[in-house]
Amino acid sequence: MKYESQKVAKLYFTAAIGLFVGQILFGLILGAQYVMGDFLFPEIPFNVARMVHTNLLIVWLLFGFMGAAYYLVPEEAETELFAPWLAKLMFWIFLAAGAATILGYLLVPYATLAELTMNDLLPTMGREFLEQPTITKIGIVIVALAFLFNIGMTILKGRKTVVNLVLLMGLTGLAVFFLFSFFNPVNLVMDKYYWWWVVHLWVEGVWELILGAILAFILIKTTGVDREVIEKWLYIIIAMTLITGIVGTGHHYYWIGTPEFWQWWGSIFSAMEPIPFFMMTVYAFNMVNKRRRNHPNKAAVLWALGTAVMAFLGAGVWGFLHTLAPVNYYTHGTQITAAHGHMAFYGAYVMIVLAMISYSMPMMRGREACNSARAQSMEMWSFWLMTISIVFITLFLTGAGILQVYLQRFSDNPMPFMVVQDKIALFYWLREITGFVFLLGLGLYIASFFVGKNEPEATVELAK
Amino acid sequence: MEKNKWPPGDLVIWFFIMAELLVFGVFFAAYAFTRANNIELFNEFQLTLDRNAALINTVALITSSYFVVRAVAAIRDDNSKRCFHWLLAALFMGLVFLVVKGYEYHHHFSLGINLNTNTFYMFYLSLTFFHFLHVILGMIILLAVALKARTGGYSAAEHTGVETGASYWHMVDLVWMILFPLVYVMR
Amino acid sequence: MEDKKFIRPCTIIYLLLLALTVTTWFIGTKGFSGMQISLMVLGFALIKGQLIGDYFMGLKQVAGFWRWTVTLWLILVGCLVSYAFSLNA
Repeated sequence: MKYESQKVAKLYFTAAIGLFVGQILFGLILGAQYVMGDFLFPEIPFNVARMVHTNLLIVWLLFGFMGAAYYLVPEEAETELFAPWLAKLMFWIFLAAGAATILGYLLVPYATLAELTMNDLLPTMGREFLEQPTITKIGIVIVALAFLFNIGMTILKGRKTVVNLVLLMGLTGLAVFFLFSFFNPVNLVMDKYYWWWVVHLWVEGVWELILGAILAFILIKTTGVDREVIEKWLYIIIAMTLITGIVGTGHHYYWIGTPEFWQWWGSIFSAMEPIPFFMMTVYAFNMVNKRRRNHPNKAAVLWALGTAVMAFLGAGVWGFLHTLAPVNYYTHGTQITAAHGHMAFYGAYVMIVLAMISYSMPMMRGREACNSARAQSMEMWSFWLMTISIVFITLFLTGAGILQVYLQRFSDNPMPFMVVQDKIALFYWLREITGFVFLLGLGLYIASFFVGKNEPEATVELAK
Repeated sequence: MEKNKWPPGDLVIWFFIMAELLVFGVFFAAYAFTRANNIELFNEFQLTLDRNAALINTVALITSSYFVVRAVAAIRDDNSKRCFHWLLAALFMGLVFLVVKGYEYHHHFSLGINLNTNTFYMFYLSLTFFHFLHVILGMIILLAVALKARTGGYSAAEHTGVETGASYWHMVDLVWMILFPLVYVMR
Repeated sequence: MEDKKFIRPCTIIYLLLLALTVTTWFIGTKGFSGMQISLMVLGFALIKGQLIGDYFMGLKQVAGFWRWTVTLWLILVGCLVSYAFSLNA
């Protein structure tokens, strides 16, 4: 760490991890409700638990991205952050707004929440993932603008690197596309059409730029490979991401009232979406193999490589599974989608944020470069526990999905939804049990921040 | 003669080229198989395309590619100025392609044809427009290379950039070599 | 010297490409149709592609995997397209 102001990232990362725990707890509640329908009813109904689970995920990832940006941008720009106080202020505003929103979900019925927050004036509530009250959305926009201003000014006054510019592009896109959450057409087709401009163009568009930039930063720092080499790869990967990802939005436009050509565009372009992820895997391993030095923070390198692999599997392979229109005709909105969602979010975005935390946290907490060997070893255990759990959760949900598609939609005598849900309960149980293993991994992850504090830093055994 | 292990230009552009070729390949196959199910429709509307314009465009792209070859040869000869001039000539041919293609689009659009008109036009417009965008991207790359060449940014010893841009441009040409007969001629 | 060795074959290839293009165009304007004609036109296209790969892109001077990338792509596309065109012939 070279600049004092990078330390604001610590606040953001701490909040991110805290909210991550909340997300997982609600995930476990949801998983239980799949097999025990009245679990915690009426205190926490299924729809509320689901809302909290998904909203927490998005909010903590945003905290993670902001933290990553506050850490990365000054170091790349070789200057202090433009306004550290603004970053701190925005942190508290964002955290308060986020907490109030979640409490609102949990404490009052959703309709009451809508009334309380005067949703009538500018109705934006009630849409999946964008359930936040309008005032929260406005708050998000203000926080995002202040954040972009801060980051933008820092980049402007400092060194301009490709990593910083790609990151800024991604973050700007994130803010711009969020504006479509205020656009709420009465026509249901139009509504869905623009809804995806937030949801899809975030995770399969601009977020990938953020992911690419953070990964590039970590690789530059930990491998010592020339910046130029890494930047070249970054260019190609984002070009491919944008070509495939933007038109790939079409894979959400099948049979929802949009023109038929979307079936072709969506199928062809989104089928190519795994390519940039594959390139990312090849490049991450290549850079680590070509490393000029061994970085003592092995945990961070493990997370970075893990991101490259799991993003390819979760976003690339599992996305491809159901992206072609004729396949999606059967799989739409089944557990296949859930399987893909879990592994893609974990593999691409959870892991990159954890990689950044793993790389930067030791330095922000006063270490030279990394944690003690004991802390790192525990962190790597948590890596494997969480990652393997997600792999199994994905496999169980895929199993559930295949069975569901067959019984409910493909067989000669299709069965009703709820009957099928009973038949695939075994998979739901297995998923829930695996969820507890994931929680254990998360516990170990948090514990790794507290063990080996008084032990010396890990060192590099002399390289081969 | 000693063979090289790596293709000319930066290896990263070759990964990109392979990815692009894959996308086009899938698109071509989709066209061909969809046509197999709609032969009459495809045969009927293929006749409405302007083959003369397509000929001009094919010649323009091939010529442009050839000019780029000359540009690479020039820089290998350490002649930045000649390299720059050949690249300008190549860019001009690219421009010819864009103008002719634009004229074709203008013709179709003025008849009210769009992506929803029918499956043939959907493919025709999608495929050619996707390629059109690649011509533009290729021209931007060539322009960047040309500007650097003009200020003497390359030499006989170090001209990876020229070869990189050239490889991408040839790919744009290569794809059109299949697209032209497939969409305009084969029936 | 190196210059001529590189340019002369490329100029010949360029003329060849033009000739094949005009032939294809001629077939197109005459409206010839049918599987044989189509496959012939496709064949011309694949040859053109191979020539561009070999000479313009310089893959002829490359050994190993990258030597065959364009060729493999052409074979793949050629097989798929000709199979599709043979379906209803």
